[in-house]
Amino acid sequence: MIDKIYSSNNEGGKTKRRDFLGILLSGGFLAWLIALIYPVFKYLEPPPVEEAKVTSVKIGAVEDMAKDSGKIIKFGNKPVIVIRKKTGNYVAFSAVCTHLDCIVQYRKDYGQIYCACHNGKYDLNGKNVSGPPPAPLTPYAVKIVKDEVIIHAKEA
Amino acid sequence: MQKLLSNILTVLLLSTFSSLLFAQTETQDQCITCHKELDDELLLPAKKYVTDVHYSKHIPCSGCHGGDSKSDDMDIAMSKENGFIGVPDRSVRYEVCIKCHANKEAMKIYGSNLPVNQFENLKNSVHFQPTYNNVGPIADCVTCHSVHDIKQVDNPKSTVYPTKIVSLCGSCHSNANFMKNYNPALPVDQVVKYKTSIHGKMNLKGDPNVAECASCHGSHDIFAVKDSRSHVYKTNIPEVCSRCHSDSKLMSKYNLPSDQYSSYVKSVHGVALLEKGDLSSPSCNDCHGNHGAIPPGVESISKVCGNCHVLNMELFEQSPHKKAFDENDFPECETCHDNHDVVHPTDAMVGIQESSVCMNCHSNDDKGYIVAKNIKVLLDSLTTEDTETKKILDEATQKGMDVSDAEFSLKDVRQILIQSRTSIHAFNMNKFKEAITPGFKIIGKSKKAGVDAIDDYYFRREGLSIATLIVTILVIGLYFKIRKMEKKKNQKT
Amino acid sequence: MKNSNKKTIKERTYSWLDERFNLSGLIEFAKKKSVPKYRETIWYYFGGVALLLFIVQVITGILLLMYYQGTENSAYESVKFISTKVSFGWLIRSVHSWSANLMILSAFIHMFSVYFLKAFRKPRELTWYTGFGLLVMAMAFGFSGYLLPWNELAFFATKVGTDIAGQLPLIGKPILELLRGGEDVTGATLSRFFGFHVAVFPGIFTILLALHLIFIQRQGIAEPEDWKDLPDNEKKYIPFFPNFTMRELLIWLIVINVLAILAVFFPWELGTKADPFASAPVGIKPEWYFMFMFQSLKFLPAEILFLTGEFVGIAAFGIAGILWFLVPFWDRRTPKGKRNTIINYIGIFAVIFIIVLTILGFILD
Repeated sequence: MIDKIYSSNNEGGKTKRRDFLGILLSGGFLAWLIALIYPVFKYLEPPPVEEAKVTSVKIGAVEDMAKDSGKIIKFGNKPVIVIRKKTGNYVAFSAVCTHLDCIVQYRKDYGQIYCACHNGKYDLNGKNVSGPPPAPLTPYAVKIVKDEVIIHAKEA
Repeated sequence: MQKLLSNILTVLLLSTFSSLLFAQTETQDQCITCHKELDDELLLPAKKYVTDVHYSKHIPCSGCHGGDSKSDDMDIAMSKENGFIGVPDRSVRYEVCIKCHANKEAMKIYGSNLPVNQFENLKNSVHFQPTYNNVGPIADCVTCHSVHDIKQVDNPKSTVYPTKIVSLCGSCHSNANFMKNYNPALPVDQVVKYKTSIHGKMNLKGDPNVAECASCHGSHDIFAVKDSRSHVYKTNIPEVCSRCHSDSKLMSKYNLPSDQYSSYVKSVHGVALLEKGDLSSPSCNDCHGNHGAIPPGVESISKVCGNCHVLNMELFEQSPHKKAFDENDFPECETCHDNHDVVHPTDAMVGIQESSVCMNCHSNDDKGYIVAKNIKVLLDSLTTEDTETKKILDEATQKGMDVSDAEFSLKDVRQILIQSRTSIHAFNMNKFKEAITPGFKIIGKSKKAGVDAIDDYYFRREGLSIATLIVTILVIGLYFKIRKMEKKKNQKT
Repeated sequence: MKNSNKKTIKERTYSWLDERFNLSGLIEFAKKKSVPKYRETIWYYFGGVALLLFIVQVITGILLLMYYQGTENSAYESVKFISTKVSFGWLIRSVHSWSANLMILSAFIHMFSVYFLKAFRKPRELTWYTGFGLLVMAMAFGFSGYLLPWNELAFFATKVGTDIAGQLPLIGKPILELLRGGEDVTGATLSRFFGFHVAVFPGIFTILLALHLIFIQRQGIAEPEDWKDLPDNEKKYIPFFPNFTMRELLIWLIVINVLAILAVFFPWELGTKADPFASAPVGIKPEWYFMFMFQSLKFLPAEILFLTGEFVGIAAFGIAGILWFLVPFWDRRTPKGKRNTIINYIGIFAVIFIIVLTILGFILD
């Protein structure tokens, strides 16, 4: 069945035109397939989503958080862990574990930041001190303005 | 017999004469005659009344009190049958006055052209409400005009003469204990403030032509300031002030201009208040004060304007212009924006072109000139870009592409333009750039979205043409292929 | 050109498969497949076009699934997102909507051509029954898919459509609640319709389609009735492979291009988001393939004898549908080789009825 389309060249003079038609058709089909598949692949590429650029987040009054406690806040679309140390000072880090992107938590019993997925531990300077995490957590700047705690992205 | 006759004649003559005498004394106000002989409070009315304007019009005591003023017999003179009403009750004593004063014919009898609408005005006013202890209206005729020693209003001795009226009104209105029975929130410092004002100072010196309480508040038809019927309701104030302040003959006596009202009604504030009814727009008293009316000092103008235009004030006071203007006695805001005929500012006011106010002081290439030039350039640029971008987005929409997000964010540009124009008052290039730069960012994004949408419109059609071309080639090719194939088949069979 | 020792890739692939699946039998069978060549051959293409359009629907439907969100709060927005923000989203969405309509149109044409050419007669009754089922499923696809953008028109069309279903006696109310997922058209209805549209109906359709195609392959393409008496040498055929296939390919290419043209020049509207508390917009109408039924119901009086007009209408269409479905059963004459003019007249009447009422539905009100 397939050989019917590409029959042997016993009609000598017609070879050129047949080949031309064959080339035209194969080339055309290829072009057609590309014209079909290209939009499908572009379609599947996720379009860019507008993100409001967040530069700082107010999280509340200084006394709203108890000493020696931590909580996760939304910084734009990123999770940030805010910890009020026993001394009363605030620190903040990216809450995304540097190992495999789980969200970390503050463990009062360790006095450290802990990742439940694979037992990773970070100290209160964000440094990875135990377990699989390969790098420290990115710090965020904390400013206290008029009794309000404000988290800023730390300048590079 | 003759002696009897002459006696009778004498008696007759005597009695006639005496009766004539008596008649004279009888046509005299017997009430006064009698009461003059009495003491204390029964004496006072008689003593006073001879100074009263009504006495000079030959109106006896019975004109108000009823009774028979010709009789010296108390029982006749003060008899109820003769209409005597005694001292009328506080709650109805005004009825005595209005018997004549609300009656045009009655007034004509005494040759008076005085208006007769005083009671009509008074009875709806705030003063005619009953007192807190229900003894009668708060203020009636007697309260202000007094009684028994009433003078004509233009008589300097009248209680309601312009120079006396302030203390009259103040006798209640400056008494906190009294006023709090009616409206504890009402201020009681009007007289104190008034005395600091130009009006007050001149009034105290004895000038009857300056504004006093009744000039603005009215005399009989006084309403609460919040009541729109009040003469001093916000929208009525400009006209009330202009009654004197637009009178050039009157104002020239004090070396004052008389164009403020005509300027004000054309201004942004005037149009807003008087034509659009926007009560947040300032009236004369908002900038000049009402009781303590005085034009604001040159150095404090920005504070006065800044009561509403807060941001402009704050920026101005931190700008280099504050010191420069104050040192040169330039009236701050007024220097560029005028005082009464404040118009809606336009971008033509800033810059280096002829219409700009900057060029009133600045000249070629001084620091201010350069700042003015750059500000104008940026403003114009953003405004033009805004219009252009709107056109592009409209074109995209016409073509059926969706640019609603871009159109929405473009609305922020209007806000940014307003904020930038405000930040001009800092007269600082950096601050202005800070305010206006976000506008360019938004324009950039929106323009791009619009241009992309239009491009996409054409891209779709171009892509379709290419695809159709390919299909057409394929279809033609296939057609020939089929034909060839079948011809071959027919040849074979 | 060919070295007889070294086989080409085609030959090698063929022999690899042939060793495992015995392709030679299939090839022989395929070679024999042929299509009658006569005046009415043109109608033989419409089944294939309907199939093509179904395949287009499956592909564009799966693509839409990548971005569509089927809840009340985000359905409309997700369709808007696809149409405006996703690359070529406008194309996929408009093609899906146009192809739906063209698929139902070609299915109708295919069905009527089979009807008039009597291809439903013995031995092809089951092909007709499965085909009828496919047509009903196509319209169910259309009805359920129409709601998915959750726009104003769709909301009310669904309301009216399910209301009509609810008119059936006894079973009407349970059916209505089953369809709507409650008493009213809500987000629950949307979820349900979404589930029907992307899971239930494709499953049923695929089974019916498979049967339909298997039956056709097994029995070959139907020949016209009057060919029974013709001698073999006067019967002309087109071999299915490659001639008919290539012709079909040509037509399919054109159909796909037509879809693209429609998507670019007549993009499908989105309208406003559905608001259950807004009044029904003026001139609410169903899609054209339901219009003839909708318009007929509108013409019926409120009461006929002791029954509601609507019930009579639904019952009439129901009975008509069942009779149409059973045409292989009650057409006794055609198998005997006689012309069944009654069937022709009924068919012509049906076609005219549908066309006229559809037109009336659009020009009136």
